[in-house]
Amino acid sequence: MTTPAHAATPHGPSRRGAGLARRLAPWSAAAVVAALAVWRMLYLHGVNDNFNAAFFAGAVVRSLQLGSLYALIALGYTMVYGIIRLINFAHGEVFMVGAFAAYFLFSATPYPWPVAVLVAAVVAYGFLRFLGFFRVLGRPVVLAAASSCFVAVALALASVRLGWLGAMVASMFVTGVLGMAIDRVAYKPLRGAPRNSMLITAIAVSFFLQNFGLLAFSNRQTPFRPQSFFTGQLTFPVAGETVFTTWMVVLVPAVTLVLVLVLTTLVTRTRLGRAMRATSQDAETARMMGVDVDRVISSTFLLGSMLAAAAAVMWGMSFGSINQPAIFGVLPGIKAFAAAVIGGIGSLPGAVIGGVLLGFLENFLTALFPRVGSFSGITEYKDTFAFLAMILILLLRPSGIVGEDLSEKV
Amino acid sequence: MRRFVLLSALFAALGAAAAQEPIVIGVNLELSGRMTVTGNDTLNGIRVAHMQQDEVLGRPIELSICDNASTPEGSIACANRFVDEGAVAVLGTYASSHSIPAAGVLQDAGVVMVSTGSTNPATTQVGDFIFRIPYTDQFQGRVAAQWAWNEGHGERVAIFRQQDDDYSVGLSGFFQEALEEMGGQTIVLDFTANTVDFSAQINDLRSFDPTMIYYTGFCAEAATLIPQVRQQGFDVPILGGDASDDAQCPEGGGQAFDGYTFTSFGEPEVLSGEAAERATAFGEVYREQYPDAGFTGFVLAGADAYKVVVAAIEAAGSDDPAAVRDALMQLENFPGVSGEITFVGTDGTPANRVMGLYAYAVADDGSWEKVVIRGIQLE
Repeated sequence: MTTPAHAATPHGPSRRGAGLARRLAPWSAAAVVAALAVWRMLYLHGVNDNFNAAFFAGAVVRSLQLGSLYALIALGYTMVYGIIRLINFAHGEVFMVGAFAAYFLFSATPYPWPVAVLVAAVVAYGFLRFLGFFRVLGRPVVLAAASSCFVAVALALASVRLGWLGAMVASMFVTGVLGMAIDRVAYKPLRGAPRNSMLITAIAVSFFLQNFGLLAFSNRQTPFRPQSFFTGQLTFPVAGETVFTTWMVVLVPAVTLVLVLVLTTLVTRTRLGRAMRATSQDAETARMMGVDVDRVISSTFLLGSMLAAAAAVMWGMSFGSINQPAIFGVLPGIKAFAAAVIGGIGSLPGAVIGGVLLGFLENFLTALFPRVGSFSGITEYKDTFAFLAMILILLLRPSGIVGEDLSEKV
Repeated sequence: MRRFVLLSALFAALGAAAAQEPIVIGVNLELSGRMTVTGNDTLNGIRVAHMQQDEVLGRPIELSICDNASTPEGSIACANRFVDEGAVAVLGTYASSHSIPAAGVLQDAGVVMVSTGSTNPATTQVGDFIFRIPYTDQFQGRVAAQWAWNEGHGERVAIFRQQDDDYSVGLSGFFQEALEEMGGQTIVLDFTANTVDFSAQINDLRSFDPTMIYYTGFCAEAATLIPQVRQQGFDVPILGGDASDDAQCPEGGGQAFDGYTFTSFGEPEVLSGEAAERATAFGEVYREQYPDAGFTGFVLAGADAYKVVVAAIEAAGSDDPAAVRDALMQLENFPGVSGEITFVGTDGTPANRVMGLYAYAVADDGSWEKVVIRGIQLE
């Protein structure tokens, strides 16, 4: 709608050219990066036979696995930021609670039937409330969904090989409730307060949860190995060579995709999703229009925490053990925060893109520059990539990769 | 005359009070955090030794226990606390990266320190007040390299090193030096504390094609590293340093630790003669007191740290730290539970320490045991 005004200016054609260049810039940049990567791979293969297609294929699937986990955690940061402009520093600790809750749930599986039914009933009740919260479907459908959830969780918890799935669903509800409780106790009383107060409270909650975890959970390296098909070894051939991984490289991106699709549906297709989007644009106006803003915020914390718990369970299964609660959530949390910033904080697709990008930066980039001969590789620096990328993004494109460009909004 | 009687009675009373005043010995250990298992086992060893002898020079001994939370900062804070409390001596720490900073504080304050687990040579070189119970990593690294070479795994060894830890860096260096002297090739792969995803480090292994992996870090990282190494198709032998002697390794890492070999502190089975008998007898008392805790060489080292300090206080006839230090320097063939301890003519590292070679055997259901292979002594 601004076109006529601009067309009248003498700089019209050149501006249009600039617009085209701007649209093409990301694609051409991506093409250049891809070309450089391929060139580097060919070079490495020339240096040493072990850097073959299978080596790089392995790096790709592992990058995707790690990136998906970052994406799930980053969604929690970005949703909360989108709604109340708060960087929820306690999110890493919510992730930690999710992992330990799942550990305690599955370490006793298979449950005896009565216990399994009891836990499943609690989860199904939670699910019922959850569906009611979002008012997505008609009553009969809701009841059918809740009862099938009940049966599925009960079956999973009582079985040997699917115990982790039941534990994951149950842990998602436990952690979701924790997320809502954190909001109710620590953030809700500060709704009108300056934004810095909330930030400080978030840090306090984070420390509280770290110390709570230290007291309530184990203080030592804890095995996280539910009996599952997915933690078993997966080998597949690529160009005549074998790639060694576990089935987790399939499970993690798949579960992430499903959860992201569910989340997108909730946000775009439901009443509550519409209320969320309205609140994120302008909370005051949304309130005047009759949106229950507190309920919207609560449900945002619920969803973000549930995703963090799902990520935590798959994180534990991917790496086989979880460690001291005080530090377990810190690094994943802060890296996922960087991912959210890289993608564009406040944007859901941005969080997913940022997370996956971070996975590739950490795993694939180090595979492109491995230790060869006298060159010692860049592995030592891999933990800094997330923060380096975050700084670069903040300098070059503060709104992130897919974040709305604030300069054009004026 | 009456005044004199009163005064002398008063002095006698004061003297009795002084005699009853406890002697404070500090305990600086990793009771929480990354190394919590070893820290607590060591503390149990000290407690049992304290139970067996809780007074010296007619005065009770009080243990002042401080948790350094497995951090260098925590260790310095503990050391400062002991200086304020007027401790004669400090036992601990387990890790070299915590011992070295604490040694600096205690040396400056003139308090005796006996490390229960630090094997980095730098620890006792901080000053004359600093002693240790174990061997040094010069010995451990060389023994490990010899084992690798003699077993035929020494051709190309990849060393996983925790670059932010004094112990790991030191041990890696000594191993590398010894193995390269014998003709083996090495590469060092670095990681930092609390790394979980080792994909990048394992990528670096590919072009090297190792014949063995030597791990010099701690169990918090090994528990995730070793399973990932195995999953990515490396089935070469893995050897660890004494930091691998921690239940968190086989518990956290499971099946992947089956066959994992490591060098560590001597246990009753690898000691010989009277030392073995003393260690076994101590083990019986220990198991009675702490039936659920681990009984490792660190327990014996903890007990011996306490025992040598008490023996030195007795020999010095006073609780003045400088006198106790002098008495420790004169210690010769002290009958410790981890072997005879001699500090005469050393920099604070006892001569003739016995090291054990062990392996983990992990069953399919995740239950595990530590298998003793043999004892190794420095010639």
